[in-house]
Amino acid sequence: MSLKMNTEFVESAHTWSVELVGDVDIQTSGRLKEELNQLLDKHEVDLKINCQSLSYIDSTGLGVLIGVLKRVKKNENEIMIQNAQSNIVKLLSITGLDKIFIMES
Amino acid sequence: MKDCISLSLPTKSEYVSIARLTASVVANNMGFDIEAIEDIKVAVGEACNNAVLHSFCKETFDICFQVEDGTFVIEVKDCGNGFELDNYEAPDLSNPQGNGLGIFIMKSLMDEVSVDSLVGEGTTIRLMKKLAV
Repeated sequence: MSLKMNTEFVESAHTWSVELVGDVDIQTSGRLKEELNQLLDKHEVDLKINCQSLSYIDSTGLGVLIGVLKRVKKNENEIMIQNAQSNIVKLLSITGLDKIFIMES
Repeated sequence: MKDCISLSLPTKSEYVSIARLTASVVANNMGFDIEAIEDIKVAVGEACNNAVLHSFCKETFDICFQVEDGTFVIEVKDCGNGFELDNYEAPDLSNPQGNGLGIFIMKSLMDEVSVDSLVGEGTTIRLMKKLAV
């Protein structure tokens, strides 16, 4: 399955809202990196990533999120991971990444 | 009796999902539960990522799915440059960098993981998971 991204700048909350639909894997993680960085080029703010329709993520996708988090933190912003499915939560937990992202259900 | 299913895939990222889906179907047929199927799928994806990322100019890599008495063994073999296993460092989970996560994830999700790699001769990753009794 491919990856679809729906993005919106929520001015009132000073936040990018990003919905991920599909898979973030070795095939799609490059595009995720590119698009998240393009959003931050426009507005350097918090990233809220809605993972309700994200069915799969692998280490290449987690690597992208770690890289983007470094940029976001440098500007004293945060990444919020919202509504992640149990398989995604498990991966974030075993890699310890649930401690560095803000997890929201 | 051991059954084997073999795949030879191009070392291109768009074909890794074929290996993941095959692993899911075989694991489902064996009777693994949904969580275990997901674990196997992710681990196979990571092993194939390794082959695609490190095979460089080699055109294909091989995957062998072996089913025997409730044990699922998956071998992913590439003919890439290989690497020095001694140089592998487990990721520092308090300061994640994105490097080394793949092997760490495979080891966390499977019952056994072994990696044989020789510089210049390629890498074989062997993943094993047993059906819960």
